[in-house]
Formats: sequence, C-alpha cells, structure tokens
Amino acid sequence: MIPMALTLPRTQTTDLAGRAVTMDEAAFRHLYDRTARPLRAFLMRSCGDLALADDLLQEAYLRMLRSGFEGEDDDHCKNYLYRIATNLLRDHFRRKRPESAEVPERDESPGHDEAVHLQSDVGGAMAELAPRDRQMLWLAYVEGASHQEIAKALGLRSASIRSMLFRARQRLAKQLQARGLRPELEVS
Amino acid sequence: MTAKPCSHEEAVTAAARSGDWSPELKAHRDGCLTCAELTLVVAALAADAEELAAIDVPLPDPAPIWLRAKLATRERQYERATRAIVWVQRAAVAVALAVGLAFAPGLWALVSGAFSAVSFNVSAPDLPRAAGSPLVVLVVSMLVLGGLALWELTAAQEN
Repeated sequence: MIPMALTLPRTQTTDLAGRAVTMDEAAFRHLYDRTARPLRAFLMRSCGDLALADDLLQEAYLRMLRSGFEGEDDDHCKNYLYRIATNLLRDHFRRKRPESAEVPERDESPGHDEAVHLQSDVGGAMAELAPRDRQMLWLAYVEGASHQEIAKALGLRSASIRSMLFRARQRLAKQLQARGLRPELEVS
Repeated sequence: MTAKPCSHEEAVTAAARSGDWSPELKAHRDGCLTCAELTLVVAALAADAEELAAIDVPLPDPAPIWLRAKLATRERQYERATRAIVWVQRAAVAVALAVGLAFAPGLWALVSGAFSAVSFNVSAPDLPRAAGSPLVVLVVSMLVLGGLALWELTAAQEN
C-alpha cells in the first residue's frame, strides 16, 4: 500500500478570500467519485454520525473548491481534502465543548447515530475512543499517513505522535479484545 | 506482560495491510504482544474501512456542492467589483461633511439671517413666493440628496 502523503498543501485552507473555483465540473465529479466514499468512511468513524459526516463531507469539498486549490493529481487533492476534513472535525468538537480544550471522550450529540457505531465490532470499539484517537488511528493504519503528516493534519507535535499512536492502539486493541476479537483471528 | 514499542512495527503494519507475511515476521508477531496488537488493529481497521466504503447509503449529490462553490465565487467577484464604488461614495459623504463643518460658522450666519427674513405668517396667495425662498430650496435639496446618498450606501452594503 502506498502511504498517503498528508503533506501541507501549498494553499492554506483558511486563505479563501479572493480565490475562485479553478477546477472544471467534470474534473470535480471525477475527484468526488474517487475520493468521497473513503473520506466519508473516515468522517463517519471519526464523528460517529452519518448525517454529520455527510454535512462535513460536502463542506470539505466546498472549501476545497472555494480555495482555488489546484492539486498536481488526485492524490494531492485527496490529501488536501483530508486536511480540511480533520480541521472541520476539530472545529466541530471544539464547538461542542467550548469550555475545554480537550476533545470529548464520546460524541453524545442528539444526532449521534448509534447504528453507525454498532454496525460492526470495530465501530463499537472505535466509538469508545476519543475523536482524536480515532482520527489518528484511521490516518495511520487506513490511509497510511506518516507521523509527521498526522501531526500536521491534527495540529499536534510530530514528536508526540509515536507515543500517542501507541497508546491509542493499545486502547483500541483492548476494546476489540473485549468484543471477542483476537490477533490470531484477524491475521490471514 | 506489558506491551512496549517494537522496532518491527513498520514491517508488521505493512504485512498486516498487504497480508504478505514472511515466516520470520510471522514468528516475531506471534511472540510479540505489541506486534500482535498492531496486527489486530490494522486488520480490524482495514476491514472496517472496506465495510464503510461499501455502505449502502448514497453519497450526497456533488452538483449542489459545485453550484454553491460557483455562487460563492461570483459573490466574491461582485463584492470585489463594487468595493471601489462603495469607498468612493463613503469618501464623498465624508468630504461633504468636512466642507459643511469647515463652513459652518459662515453658513450659520447665512441661515440665521435667512430665517429672520422668512415670515411664517404667509397668506395663501403668497405661498408660491415663500416656496421659492433660497433657504427652503437649500433645505429640501439637502434632504433629498442626503436621503439618496444614504439609500445608495445601504443598498450597496446589502448587496
């Protein structure tokens, strides 16, 4: 699997003023068809709510178009989208807990879609983790992002990712084992 | 047994994702708690990602996203195009106010003189003459022009 390069793109996500849509509609549709499902999976597992994931998905593409970002290829655009998506998730969790800098342990919003969490044992196990742990694990082991890329995407120090990832992994493994999943069962 | 970071983590991650295990790595994984946990997590997340990507819920239609982006671009272009006009209007109002203030003492003498000349006890036949008074023309003109300027400014801000 080729590691996904979540490098900071040349265009900052916040610098939207004065930029125009540079991509044509066909190219946008092509990019959307190729990237929307995995990005929605990431958002869904991170926020635990299908409706919210769809809202954030649309907002991520909208911001990308409005930024006038011109990726070198689909992967470059995909990286940019994931970065926007992690920023949107961070904003979402910050809005929910303005009094605390820490992300909440679980998404307890009224729109919280239990069906998404309970759909699989993995979903249930992930739901028990903090949103930041979920994003970190997903970026590292599904998208193949490096520690540096994860740090950039999540706004953390690169040096602390290794230990944070290690602890998050241990927590997830514990949750998976509590649901009856064992290493030997998962290994092909 | 306590799990500790292992130097084989990278190789184990790659093998767990590809399913391509060398006998040595497999033997290491079976004896290493960290790598066993890593294998479990990587395989579980890969299966979950596959399941979620194949979920039978249609994706949001990309057409409205595209339209919203185009509309937002047009709005920004319109705002940029009209920004200069709005600033010129504001500058004109500021200049008019500054001129008014600069000439206020002289104007006040003129206005008070004009007021003293106006008789409010005008009989009906004399009304047309009273309406032609320079003071009334000045006041009415300023009211109309001031109102128009304000309307222009607020209309530009609303757009």
